[in-house]
Amino acid sequence: MQQLLNGIFIGSIYALFAIGFTLVFGILDRLNLAHPAVFAASAFVGIELVERGGLSLWAALPLVFVVGAVLGLLIERLAFRPLKGRADAHFAGLISSIALAGMLIALLQWRYGPDTRRFPPGSFPDTRFEVFGAQVTLVQVVILAVSLALMVGLTYMVTRTRLGRGMRAVAENPTAARVLGVNVDRVTAVTFAISSALGAVAGVLFAINVNTAQLGMGAAIELKGLAVIIVGGMGSLPGALIGGLLLGLAEVFAVQYIGSSWVDVIAFGLLFVILLLRPQGLLGARKVREV
Amino acid sequence: MLDQYATTLTFIALGAIFAYSFYAVLIAGQLSLGQAGFASLAAFSGAYLAPDRADVGDVPALLIAVAIGMSVGALAAVMLGLPTMHLRGVFLAIATLGFAEAVRVVLLNQEWTGGAQGLGVSRILTVGMAWFALALVAYWFWRMGRSRYGRALEAIREDELAARAMGIDVGRHRLAAFVTAGAVAGLYGVLYAYYVRLIAPDDFDFVAAVEGLVTAVVGGSTMFLGPLLGSGFQTIVPEVQRAVGVEAGWIRPFLASLLLLVVILFLPGGLASLLPRRTRMPSDAGDAADDRTGRSHPAAGDTVVALAGLGKEYGGVHAVRGVDLEIRAGEVVGLIGPNGAGKTTLVNMISGLVPPSSGTATVLGAEIGRTPVHRIAAAGVSRTFQHSKLFNRLSALENVLVGAHLVSRPTFLRRLLWLPSARRDEQAALRQAARCLERVGLADLAASRAEALSYGDQRRLEIARALASDPSLLILDEPAAGMNHVEAGRLSELITSLARDGLTILFIEHNVGMVLQTCTRVVVLNFGEVIASGAPGEIAADPAVIEAYLGSAEDDADGGSLAAGTAADPTAGSPDGVPPPAAVNVDPAAAGTLETPDTTRRNAP
Repeated sequence: MQQLLNGIFIGSIYALFAIGFTLVFGILDRLNLAHPAVFAASAFVGIELVERGGLSLWAALPLVFVVGAVLGLLIERLAFRPLKGRADAHFAGLISSIALAGMLIALLQWRYGPDTRRFPPGSFPDTRFEVFGAQVTLVQVVILAVSLALMVGLTYMVTRTRLGRGMRAVAENPTAARVLGVNVDRVTAVTFAISSALGAVAGVLFAINVNTAQLGMGAAIELKGLAVIIVGGMGSLPGALIGGLLLGLAEVFAVQYIGSSWVDVIAFGLLFVILLLRPQGLLGARKVREV
Repeated sequence: MLDQYATTLTFIALGAIFAYSFYAVLIAGQLSLGQAGFASLAAFSGAYLAPDRADVGDVPALLIAVAIGMSVGALAAVMLGLPTMHLRGVFLAIATLGFAEAVRVVLLNQEWTGGAQGLGVSRILTVGMAWFALALVAYWFWRMGRSRYGRALEAIREDELAARAMGIDVGRHRLAAFVTAGAVAGLYGVLYAYYVRLIAPDDFDFVAAVEGLVTAVVGGSTMFLGPLLGSGFQTIVPEVQRAVGVEAGWIRPFLASLLLLVVILFLPGGLASLLPRRTRMPSDAGDAADDRTGRSHPAAGDTVVALAGLGKEYGGVHAVRGVDLEIRAGEVVGLIGPNGAGKTTLVNMISGLVPPSSGTATVLGAEIGRTPVHRIAAAGVSRTFQHSKLFNRLSALENVLVGAHLVSRPTFLRRLLWLPSARRDEQAALRQAARCLERVGLADLAASRAEALSYGDQRRLEIARALASDPSLLILDEPAAGMNHVEAGRLSELITSLARDGLTILFIEHNVGMVLQTCTRVVVLNFGEVIASGAPGEIAADPAVIEAYLGSAEDDADGGSLAAGTAADPTAGSPDGVPPPAAVNVDPAAAGTLETPDTTRRNAP
């Protein structure tokens, strides 16, 4: 039971991270590899806000959300918009976002140094609950609640609001969307902002969960994020949620029953099987190609 | 002097070899990150299995390890490639990345690899050996560039579907490119192992794979010198920074990343785009009489296409239904009908792109539905597309050269050995391509990139490309769309002259005047069914055809109006669209089209 809950907590962070990934991919057909750098940066920013700003953990979350959104706008402006209309935009976007991620990580190193950082002692409330005989901290409950709330909010926005309709139109056909009066550039920018904001919150939640922030934490979760969006279905928001939870659970149980050194093989074995049997992912829609 | 830079130079060579393993697949439009896995498997098995240097000597030990490593790399690529070759773009990248990570974790957990501590290997590789290996790899890709095989890979990168229709076996070519990547990555793995003295599975992780990809793309993934330039750039930038005294830990990665961003944003083809690209033209030397393509064509009157009850259904919608049609060699058949009548679907089935849901069809002896597209092309079917599907970044001449894939001989291996026969074959293919360009009137634009041509020229280039395979059956899907009536008139002359040479032609066109003037037979399709078939004169007078086009037979007693070609919109179905009598008996060549051609998507990305 304890393992199940731990799997769900960590899985919800994976899901939140992966949803940002898959949002950009599903709507703009671009893989933004600067996403993991935002994840890492926000963890450091979150710690700084608590440590220097004297904010409580919970007040820092909305601020980190805003910081993430700003980073997302920067990423779109610097790494993706200049590539618009290029034949190799796919490859070039991967590389330019990798470059931007490198710059971001270098800046973090300049500001915070190469060492692991932690939240100041006493930042966490001590409240604990007992659920079906398992220990759960208030922090963990909040992580789950924040993740779920953001994911539900995002789904509502994409399916119900005017902006979401614009996003879906752009995903379907950018040219047609532009002709019909959708401001494609604005929708693109907002998509990046939301995606990065979610990645940023995931980053700070992750840092809260393990109480550490490292420069390499983005790279470590990057592969997991990719696995999650493939397993769930590229561009599918509920797919990313399910994929994230699945991965979280698989990892926790793999550690317990197989040994920690084999954890990644489980994740990638799962990924591989899905790609072979159902390339569109668990909840992805198969695109029919037109001649 | 050289000693001082030996380490840097060796790492440039190693980085370039690794980048070539990415280049090997990027050139075919595949994004794979599995090369780190291939390199890792190769490095460990090569270092573990090869005999000790003390027993056989330095160089033999290295060579044996290289042979083992390259075989292991290639074998791993086959095993990974067979199930994943149907994946595209990012999906392939992530699947191969998953493989590489799985390899890393498995090797970490093995006894014989030393796990996280790593495996000690003796240093045998010298800077000279590294550059020799790099030269061999670069030579391989240099000679590949202008071979038939290299062109086919580029064609697949630019437009997979069009490449298929040109008779290229896409699956085999993609797998071949993947296996090449595996072997080259294997070479890198072993050389790396014999240079750094201690290898650990973590040397071949995600970061290493990304670095290899970045190097290849920065250098330029469409030109064989790209990986070398990229590796030089990636290796030298930190060295220069160190030399000028930039020491703070964060500035170096920051500047390196910034430079990477600048290169990728402002040099779309990578560093290699700074080098001039030579365009090839055929030399006049060589005997043109030798240039027969070796194709045999059906005799006039033989059955070329036989359709029986052919139908296609899309989720309950019958796009084509119960079509019986026979086309004989030497015929020029025009396929007309309102938008949505199923013309393109029918043609897609005949050329093998779309499998029929019912009925049978035989085209030049190939059975439709079971035969892959490239086999049908090999049987002698060649086509153009409704929306141009050119290989955009290749020159006009190269586009046509790809079209000649089926009638030219493979030249890559012979080019590696500089055999004169390879040069002769390449020249023959070039002459064939130049002739086709000339025939459609594009000879002076041979060196232009396809994407830079005007719309009308792109349509003609597609026809030239389709002609290059010396087909028995040529299918044109709206070749005159977007052409003015002068251009359309010239196109009509071209079709007539091709038919005089014995080519069987099936073409879809909305310019009814042109169809009636050019064809020996006209087939009219409406709602997926053939409603009329016969000589142009009969069709123009057929009440069913007029009804299909104008919506109502009663209001239009004058069958001649169709021949005149009117501006009426057939989909509007309004009787007001009936033209004034003055339009009757106008010369068909000057006739306008019945419909506005659909050109809206031509600039779509």
